[in-house]
Amino acid sequence: MNHPVRLTFNGKEIEVEKGTLLIEAAKVAGAELPHFCYHPKLKYDANCRMCIVEIEKMPKLQTSCSTVVAEGMVVRSNTDRVKEAQNGVMAFLLGNHPLDCPECDQGGECQLQDFAHRYSPTVGSFGETKRVFEKEYFGPLIEKEMNRCVSCLRCVRYCDEVIGANALGSMDRGSVTEIGGFAHHPLDCEFCGGCIQICPVGALTSRASMYDYRPWQVKKTDTICTYCGDGCLMTMETIDDKVIRTSSKLGVGRNEGDLCAKGFFGYGFINHQERLTRPIIIQNGKMQQVTWEWAIKKAASDFMAIKEKYGPEAIGGIIGAHSTNEETYLFYKLMRDIIGTPHVDSAARYGDVNAHQALNAAFSTTCLMRYEDIVGADLILSFAGDMTETNPICAIKVKEAVRKNKAKLIAIDAFNTQRDTYKSHLPHIASLHLQIKMGTEGVVILGLIKILASQATPSPVLSADYIQRMKQATESISFEMIEAISGISKATLGEVAKRYAGASKAVLIVGSAITRNSNGYQNMLNIADLALLAGQVAKEGAGILALTDCPNGGGDPSGGSERPAPVGRENAGVVTRGKTLVEIIDAVERGEIKALYIVGDNPVRSLPQKRVEAAFKKLDLLICQELFMTETAAAADIVLPAASFAEKEGHYTSQEGEAQKVRKAIDPIGTSKPDWAVFSLIAEKMNAPFGFKSVNDIWKERVLSLPPAPTLEEMVSHIDAFCAAPRQFILPFAASSNGIKDLFHLQVGKTLSHAGKMSTYADGLNLITPNQSILIHPDDAERLGIVAGETIEISFPNGDTGSIQMPIALSNRLALGTLFVPEHCSMEIKRGLPFETDPVTHVPYGNYGQVRLSKVAVAV
Amino acid sequence: MPTYEKILLKNMEQPGYTGSLSDYRKTGGYMALEKVLKGIAPAEVIDTIKRSGLRGRGGAGFPTGVKWSFIPKDHPGPKYLCCNADESEPGTFKDRQLIENDPHQMLEGITIACYAIGAQTAYVYIRGEFFLGAKIIQGAIDELYQAQLLGKKILGSNFNLDIYVHRGAGAYICGEETALLESIEGKRGKPRTKPPFPATHGLYQKPTVVNNVETLSNVPHIINRGPEWFAAIGTAKSTGTRIFSVSGPVNRPGNYEVPLGITFREMIEEHAGGMKEGKRLKAIIPGGASASFFTSEHLDVKMDFESVAAAGSMLGSGGVTVMDDETCMVAATLNLLEFFHHESCGKCTPCREGSAWLLQILRRIEGGEGRREDLAQLEQLSHRIEGMTICAFGDAEVAPILSTLKHFRAEYEAHIDEKHCPFRPNLALAMAVP
Repeated sequence: MNHPVRLTFNGKEIEVEKGTLLIEAAKVAGAELPHFCYHPKLKYDANCRMCIVEIEKMPKLQTSCSTVVAEGMVVRSNTDRVKEAQNGVMAFLLGNHPLDCPECDQGGECQLQDFAHRYSPTVGSFGETKRVFEKEYFGPLIEKEMNRCVSCLRCVRYCDEVIGANALGSMDRGSVTEIGGFAHHPLDCEFCGGCIQICPVGALTSRASMYDYRPWQVKKTDTICTYCGDGCLMTMETIDDKVIRTSSKLGVGRNEGDLCAKGFFGYGFINHQERLTRPIIIQNGKMQQVTWEWAIKKAASDFMAIKEKYGPEAIGGIIGAHSTNEETYLFYKLMRDIIGTPHVDSAARYGDVNAHQALNAAFSTTCLMRYEDIVGADLILSFAGDMTETNPICAIKVKEAVRKNKAKLIAIDAFNTQRDTYKSHLPHIASLHLQIKMGTEGVVILGLIKILASQATPSPVLSADYIQRMKQATESISFEMIEAISGISKATLGEVAKRYAGASKAVLIVGSAITRNSNGYQNMLNIADLALLAGQVAKEGAGILALTDCPNGGGDPSGGSERPAPVGRENAGVVTRGKTLVEIIDAVERGEIKALYIVGDNPVRSLPQKRVEAAFKKLDLLICQELFMTETAAAADIVLPAASFAEKEGHYTSQEGEAQKVRKAIDPIGTSKPDWAVFSLIAEKMNAPFGFKSVNDIWKERVLSLPPAPTLEEMVSHIDAFCAAPRQFILPFAASSNGIKDLFHLQVGKTLSHAGKMSTYADGLNLITPNQSILIHPDDAERLGIVAGETIEISFPNGDTGSIQMPIALSNRLALGTLFVPEHCSMEIKRGLPFETDPVTHVPYGNYGQVRLSKVAVAV
Repeated sequence: MPTYEKILLKNMEQPGYTGSLSDYRKTGGYMALEKVLKGIAPAEVIDTIKRSGLRGRGGAGFPTGVKWSFIPKDHPGPKYLCCNADESEPGTFKDRQLIENDPHQMLEGITIACYAIGAQTAYVYIRGEFFLGAKIIQGAIDELYQAQLLGKKILGSNFNLDIYVHRGAGAYICGEETALLESIEGKRGKPRTKPPFPATHGLYQKPTVVNNVETLSNVPHIINRGPEWFAAIGTAKSTGTRIFSVSGPVNRPGNYEVPLGITFREMIEEHAGGMKEGKRLKAIIPGGASASFFTSEHLDVKMDFESVAAAGSMLGSGGVTVMDDETCMVAATLNLLEFFHHESCGKCTPCREGSAWLLQILRRIEGGEGRREDLAQLEQLSHRIEGMTICAFGDAEVAPILSTLKHFRAEYEAHIDEKHCPFRPNLALAMAVP
């Protein structure tokens, strides 16, 4: 305690930190004060008047949620006067409250019920007609039952203070005050469900689980959300083998109890009726359910046959984003040690390896900062304009830094900052927003490096030699060229560089715009140089954070193909570099790889569809382990039903590098099995059992297999070596229009409610965004003479891929001349977008391109 | 009839006085400002106001000079002064007269107050329905800018000031000072929890003084004629004059400026010309709708802050509503509760829920469907609201109920026993529907 304050609470002497609110101090004295409007996450509003206490020398009763402790204060919450006042407040709150507890979803976890039980007389004195509001809905997922509301405004305040969506407010006044969106407009918000979670009563409840449960019937299991790399702790609430809802606990986990739309409404895929429940053999297009015994035997014998005939390198493996650390580890082990092939890769190849390999190359680690550093920073430099969509909780940390701690946000992205829609969009709260031309982040980074290199002075961290080299390497790049490509002037870059380098603690956040787009690896290396030149890395409170959409994004840093053999078994497996994701597909196409084992990944969707499908036709064996009959599974010979994250144990390592426990909430659906169990069975059938008794055994071995974290000295010498390496900067491909009129820049990415294909099996999320539309700025739509919902034709200037048709949706967030296609409905579009792989990391790039739009002629 | 020297209404009662800047200046207007700017330090101005004993005319009667002295002297950022011209208290119409007929008197007061507290921006928060008043103040402000009495370097000093007119949108609660601040900030007009007080965390969380129109209008006169002159008027603790708005069945309803401390009897019988023929005084609301009722037994209570408080009510906004013996006290109370229920902002539980509950019971009683236990319930509910709310609204809405229950309980009982209003026996059916 830095500044202890002594006071007396209910006769007990206590000592608390200066500035503590009485309601918190009461806990120290062992008293819980009843309350509704108070919430530790929010600024006090003192409107419910329930937490009142008597303070000596103050004539009136005081609300403990708004009163700060003072030295020598004598406080009582147990006097008759306080009790009578509490009874009064309870009588007021209960007077109009409906007696619908039996059908209220909050019943059993309702603060009004709990406090009514303790603070109100058993007989009510309300003899008037009750006030009745009509039930309303905030969209498809939130039910508003104002009769149950206690007007504490926690929902409104959460939406304002934490999310920043400002979607809710109180309407009308006095006894007919109600919560609502402005002027009855539909909610313009993130659908994070925070208002439902923070409501102390049943006024706001989730329609996704309406009437499905009583709170005391659910089994609660704490686990980690699987929708992105933020690493949010969530509670799975289940009855029997059904996930009823998800929730979170105040202040707990890296998310501190906040969830996003995907976390709160996205659990529907787990119990989806289309989940695969039995192994399936597909022959000549016919599907046949088989037993596990049969399927495993077939898989093992087919692998062995191919290994015998073509050698082990004719077998390849790809593991997806939702497998745990243990499973990924075991997969590599199965493929390398038992089957004996080096050609294994993981979903990290879709972009995360760019960040991991670059940061490792520069700093020998990827764990350069934590979320606390975002909150505590005085400047945040963000190359992730879509952070709210891809990594919503990380975005909340940024909002907290900006709103509560007055940090400055510099946002560099291709989005608009028009404020009339989607208020919680991050560029809106930026103190400086650089709206660049789509895909030109790399150019801006070089511009910043050039400025910082010209201004840097040698220091123990930055050698004169390094600075000189950076200067020379950026010499040939002119600011005119930078501006021509990116649209950002030298003066603006200078301002950004000045603020970034001048901040006392600055963090740099990188999103998919860099890691998953062309030149990603080089851009990430340049990010390292940028942070080094600005002195904003390897320093307390500063650092670089690369966002990822993989729940285990931090757990598989180098991807399968570069992974060395496990400790103690160096000689057992293959240590040579294997083929990476796209190389594997290419090798399949060339007939070099004859068998492929794909676990939880869908290359048909993620890579150019036709090319992958054609390659798969050449395979002798394709085994796919999946939750659903995906496009890849449909092309397989053997489909093995996998258990989802809710059905298994293990660890996910978040983008922060935090390894967190995934816990089993329900038994696997049908006969599905966790990936690790399937690998174990196959290994056993191949006469090489792993011998692990539990997931924990795998975890232990995996932890031991990891190289030790670098020491400080090692890091320093690593950075020195990185700085000493030669530099050559080339302006990345100029993404500006190539002269063809009316070309739109198109980016594929994630939306608030959907991440990949899995989310489309969650009914809750489908209700938020029911349509699969291409997003366009309203002005562009008007210019083209098309309206929201209308189908347009998209054609590609290069290549002969034909055209496709899609309905449009309008969004002010998009810059003029740009289009956004949600990833979950991008398969067809991607066929026409240019495709390339990174020269160093082999990361596939196919999410960006230029297209032409035209109105679809309507046949009369 | 005793006559007294008027201070605030003096100019406007001169024939031909238009309230324009030139007219105001002819009466010595802006001499006080000149005097202050030419050589009285801000601290000295505050001290002068303190010594005058001037107290707030809005309702609470807080000493004005003391309020000004709470503003932190060394605060680095902006400070604000807000003139409360919301005048929304039922039965009160004095500020309106001051605004419409002598706006410069108030504006000079604002300017001096800003100089004293070091504010460079002032807002006049005016009741939305005062279209004419808003227009007049804006006209007066425009005149001042033209005469370089507002803006930069006023009268060659280093003092800068801008004054803005901000019109309310019709909520009674915006007369409450913190709700007023919220409203100026563009938010819903809802009171803030205090502390912190506006003196340190006011408009935009900056040090702010909120003063009533009448309060500020007194300031130039105190500067011109000295605090001792002002303190000599009225009583020892309630100095100066006050404008009382008298309404009801009296012969001459209207605004009367008198020294604090005359009796209600003198006000009603002399200045307001007594009760209309055939009417007998039954009740008085001594200080706006938020004040507890008086009866004819209180006629000799003196109209100063202390005496009215000692007699169980408050001088409040200066709105004196007189009621005769044909007035049903339950109906009068119900009328006020309809108002308070309509105007409760809904922020805090006791007022939000309690006002509706009280109203329903009162409607039943007036409609002839009262129950004996209703009276005890009215009292219990009132006590559960009193002192339990964020702002003084809660105390205000229960004052009429508690005081009429105290003074006119028999009337309530008659309603209940006779199952109709003794004054309006045919009302029962109309009131049955809530």
